[in-house]
Amino acid sequence: MVGPVLIVGAGVAGMTAAVELADAGVHTVLVERLSTVGGNALRLYKAFPTDDCFFCFEGNRWRPGIRKCFYRSALTDQPNIDLRVNTTVVDISGTPGSFTVRLRTEPTYVDPKKCILCGLCTTRSEAFKLSSPQCQPQTVSVDPTLLDDEARRVASECPTHAIDLDATPSEDTLVVSDIVIATGYHEFKPQGVQEYGYGEHPNIITQLELAEMLDPTGPSGGVLLRPSDGAPVERVMMVQCVGSRSVDHFPFCSKICCVFALKHANIIAQEHNGIRVDVVYMDIRTYDRHERYYRMARRAGVGFIRGRVSRVVPRDDGRLDVVIYDSLLDQYLQYEVDLFVLSSALEPSEGTAALISQLGLQDRSGFVAPVEDGSVDGVMAGDHVFVCGTALGPAEVPESVTQARAVVSRILQGGV
Amino acid sequence: MSEAGEHSTTPVTLVDPIDISTLDPHFRNEIRSMPNGDDLYACFACTTCTAACPIACQWTYKPHQLIRMILLGMRNEVLSSKEIWECLTCFQCQERCPQGVRVTDIIFDCKNLAAEEGLVPENILGLGRQLLESGQLYQVTADWEREDLGLEPEVPGLDPEPMKAILHGTRTGRLVGGGD
Repeated sequence: MVGPVLIVGAGVAGMTAAVELADAGVHTVLVERLSTVGGNALRLYKAFPTDDCFFCFEGNRWRPGIRKCFYRSALTDQPNIDLRVNTTVVDISGTPGSFTVRLRTEPTYVDPKKCILCGLCTTRSEAFKLSSPQCQPQTVSVDPTLLDDEARRVASECPTHAIDLDATPSEDTLVVSDIVIATGYHEFKPQGVQEYGYGEHPNIITQLELAEMLDPTGPSGGVLLRPSDGAPVERVMMVQCVGSRSVDHFPFCSKICCVFALKHANIIAQEHNGIRVDVVYMDIRTYDRHERYYRMARRAGVGFIRGRVSRVVPRDDGRLDVVIYDSLLDQYLQYEVDLFVLSSALEPSEGTAALISQLGLQDRSGFVAPVEDGSVDGVMAGDHVFVCGTALGPAEVPESVTQARAVVSRILQGGV
Repeated sequence: MSEAGEHSTTPVTLVDPIDISTLDPHFRNEIRSMPNGDDLYACFACTTCTAACPIACQWTYKPHQLIRMILLGMRNEVLSSKEIWECLTCFQCQERCPQGVRVTDIIFDCKNLAAEEGLVPENILGLGRQLLESGQLYQVTADWEREDLGLEPEVPGLDPEPMKAILHGTRTGRLVGGGD
């Protein structure tokens, strides 16, 4: 008997697995630590390989109607999906095929079925905000640390009585037949890699932080401004392999950062007139069919410097002086840049290590390792335990979807 | 956040880097706008051109470095380099380039630009003058080789005079100072 199935993490992989299992008639419990589904992809303006806004292209292409409505229709209306946001796995016990799972849910304070996004609370109190225009469930989120008298007054005036500020955390215990780990990745914050000065100057940022700056729905409306003083950005420099391919940090290639950086370089070169972009790299690894991004970037005039950063020195005018060793020329070059963007490694997301130890799984550089004698698809992590997406290690969106579908196929075949 | 003086990750080094702001950012567009320069940007510095070059082992700037210098805007260094004039024009670099960069042709473009700026090396100018003065680079002399081969002492029909006249009216004439 298959189901219910617990899916941990509602990013690309988790959502795909949930929708496909649910559509096949299997009851699924989709657990998400944050208040919105979407994972890291929610923070991307455009996603490769199609360069569409992420929320417009992913999902089931065969589903009738507008693809954009995929999340709303599936995650909130598909009766076989039990979506639980603000929820973490506390404990797993039992035996394969019959796991007992204890979940803890922090209060959301706002009932998504009642919230009509009228904006009354978000305009009057800082405690209420819409985390993203694409957030799902489509509802206001609450920062409990900012709750004050005004916030309580606003809550009482909610026209649909959707807000309950007295809500408390709850726990629930379920029995599930299979567990799918789709806990994704976290972008490494490279404070520890000294030469780049991350955390020491506001104009030194990571690629995901750049993605948010480029997002037309973001705070600056997609205009690139220096975080230090709001001046327009004229020169951007990116550095590849920050923390990746290093025995001191992450010994693996994070795989997607090259294309991620090239995609951003292309967006800047093509959509932001006159901004110069240079990319410092040791290898550009555009695997699969992504070589076109590299050629496109070179054609668009993006500069590529094979070498490494000697030093980054902040100037009084808000710019940074960056000295690069160019290994092709055997020369040192000095650039003035407004924005210094680090293509940082992908690390396992918070909580992955706990799941690995609770379920007795194998670990591969902190990510979940597939069992060695398992299937060729590499998505089995243990008996009735599956893994897909970046919980397995760095992967792009189509790969995460393919792995999630492989998991669904395995579960429908009886979990083996 | 720290100010310039107290930046903790900045080691004191003896590095004297090339300041990019002193280079010519338009140089790459200048080359790109020339007849063979369109694919200049496609270069991804694989160094196939340098591997193919029969003479680069003797050069300070290898072919891939010349392309890199063009992209960076090192106009003076490229146009006054000896390398562009020593190119054998065997076209091996261009034939092998996986990205379709017309390396040899770009080196020709560089020579043309250098010539316009009076940067032609003296030995090349000497060749130009010889062409202008004698209408040919190699004098055919009535020596024993022609005799051994049973050829008449003078090359039949060879008349360098029209060539001289034409060259005087060309850019070669202007560059070596003997033309209009």
